[in-house]
Amino acid sequence: MARWVGIVGVGQTHHSRRRTDVSQAGLVREAVDRALADAKLTIEDIDSVIVASGPVLFAAVNQPEKWVADAINASMKPVVRITSGGGTGFAGALAGYYQIAGGLAERVLVVAYDKLSEGALQYSISTLYDPFWGREFAVGIMGFSAAYWRARMDVLGHTEEAAAMVAVKNRRNAIKNPYAHVKKEVTVEEVLKSKPLAWPIKQLDVPPISDGAAAIVLSSEKFAAKSTDRPAFIQGMGYFCEADNAPERSLLVSEPLAIAARRVYRAAGITNPRRQFDVVEVQEPYTCFELSYYESLGLCSPGEAAALIASGATAVEGDIPVNPSGGCAGANPIGAAGLIRLIEGAAQVMGKSEGIQIKGAQRALVQSGGGWANLRGVAVLAA
Amino acid sequence: MLPKPDTFPIDMAPLKSTLAMPYTLTPGRAVGTFLAEIAKKRIVGSKFKKSGVVVIPAQDFCPVSGDKEFDFVEAPSTGTLTGFTETESGLIGMIRIDGSEFDFVHRIVNATLADLHIGDRVEVVWASETAQSMLAIAGFKPAPGAPIGVVRPLSDTAEPIETIPYELALHYEHAFGPYYGRLFDEIKTNRRIMGVRTPDGLGAFLPPREVCDVTHLPTGTWVEVKQTGTVRAMSIINLRFVGQTQEPPYIYAEIILDGASTRLIHNVAGLDMSRAKEIVKPGTRVRAVWRDQRTGSLADISHFEVIDNEKS
Repeated sequence: MARWVGIVGVGQTHHSRRRTDVSQAGLVREAVDRALADAKLTIEDIDSVIVASGPVLFAAVNQPEKWVADAINASMKPVVRITSGGGTGFAGALAGYYQIAGGLAERVLVVAYDKLSEGALQYSISTLYDPFWGREFAVGIMGFSAAYWRARMDVLGHTEEAAAMVAVKNRRNAIKNPYAHVKKEVTVEEVLKSKPLAWPIKQLDVPPISDGAAAIVLSSEKFAAKSTDRPAFIQGMGYFCEADNAPERSLLVSEPLAIAARRVYRAAGITNPRRQFDVVEVQEPYTCFELSYYESLGLCSPGEAAALIASGATAVEGDIPVNPSGGCAGANPIGAAGLIRLIEGAAQVMGKSEGIQIKGAQRALVQSGGGWANLRGVAVLAA
Repeated sequence: MLPKPDTFPIDMAPLKSTLAMPYTLTPGRAVGTFLAEIAKKRIVGSKFKKSGVVVIPAQDFCPVSGDKEFDFVEAPSTGTLTGFTETESGLIGMIRIDGSEFDFVHRIVNATLADLHIGDRVEVVWASETAQSMLAIAGFKPAPGAPIGVVRPLSDTAEPIETIPYELALHYEHAFGPYYGRLFDEIKTNRRIMGVRTPDGLGAFLPPREVCDVTHLPTGTWVEVKQTGTVRAMSIINLRFVGQTQEPPYIYAEIILDGASTRLIHNVAGLDMSRAKEIVKPGTRVRAVWRDQRTGSLADISHFEVIDNEKS
């Protein structure tokens, strides 16, 4: 029987387009210092460390965990690096969760980061394509994501206007998030008129490119009390994969996300996600993904995402607020993004969000993902 | 044990691929200061306040205690050899500068392998041209009997260098294997696009593969798929980025060829791009247009063109 695991401390950097005053390791140290202080602990109290960062090509340092371990004084502790594209930070937290749930550690520090200002982003991402089959045509995952959004328009009605509403909502929410670096309100019309990059994806559908790090302290139930009397307990957490180019892959609804949600909801006793969750944090690298996730996560039925965003239900004052933090629209240090979503979800149920706090939030849904669309994760957090 | 693939090995040279891209690396305050100072022929270290540990070259964080509070110190130009080896490009050694508790790697000059011993005294040799990199030091030369140098406090240091341009070029050779081997050999030689049948025999995998991704059953025999197909998803690319292989605007498309069950990624072209949104949609019928050159890759197909007035 797995043990209970809670998030007892969180920290993140003030993300920015480019941090030239610190190295990658220095960036990580900032987030770690904040998370340990938040958990009222020092590195001495930590049994095991997970370092999560994106592809080596992003910043040209192989095995960065050896560099990071020195900077956070984690040498002589168990240290592993986890990487899983956009889902890196979430996958890192999952690895920490397994260690505590399995009884192999009491407290685990998970750090996740990327310093995207240092390398060539789309080119690096394009290497996830098969070198024989498609890489020469790849446009990061933006081309792919845009192409399937175009397909969902016809079948599921995910219009450009609906996606623009996601941009408007998330960018407005990000203004109150002290860690976001894009803080500018936009209108639906501005989004629709913004420069097409990979149509239907336009400039304002796209998150910023960011330098940033995030860290959490996970704790067993027994050891949580030293840090907080209100941990964000993980009621269920999973990360699922689907085949890359399989014959029955529709790509219209995210199948691995639907599977992850079904499994995690069962573990957490969720039968009516829209009613049972107080707040949702999704990792939306492009606005079109948030619409798709509404459906795969069961917040609405397939084909109803455009109506859901238009109804205002996912706004902060709605009945199922999604991304009160602003999501990736406010900051998107890719390797850290999944962990930031967990931090924002945890902060909501711990009642200490530094941005927009959803009043009385008790249960949060968190989504993250990597690959082009074939790795998707879900976590349920409750205080 | 898996059965042997129902195909024949083809002697194809591996696919050569290079990933090359520019970076702007950020060394952080300590290393940035070290690099700024080394151009002025001064070696800078950090002395950590709590632990008292000295690290040369300077580092932001104490490798022993994790301490981040430190003062810069000026290092002497002498040290001790703690390890060495000979490489094709000369001798390299581990150097511990006097006063430092850590070693770093650099060249050993004015010496032969037979001259060197662990514990030898060495002294810095500055490069004739100054550089804001480790190569401002040409190397370390043997300095028998050199007195032990002293680390001195340093109050005034140059502004740290914040970014360092860097290039990475990685060269790969990808093996084709029997499935990709036949696929691309047929594309090059016969201008045929070959898949293998799905286990139920109704569709075909493209690219061909040994095992079905969904059922995990062995795949079937080879089958030629048509050179016409249907666009499943498309996007109009205007974005420019490092490493891009063609000039925007162009259409990224995922296409299911007739007879295939899986997607092929390519471009749809040969149309009025100002009307691209109305001309190319999910469901649009397209046909492969071959290039004259035969390279044995997907690029042998120049693009896919839209089929007008197709007979049903």
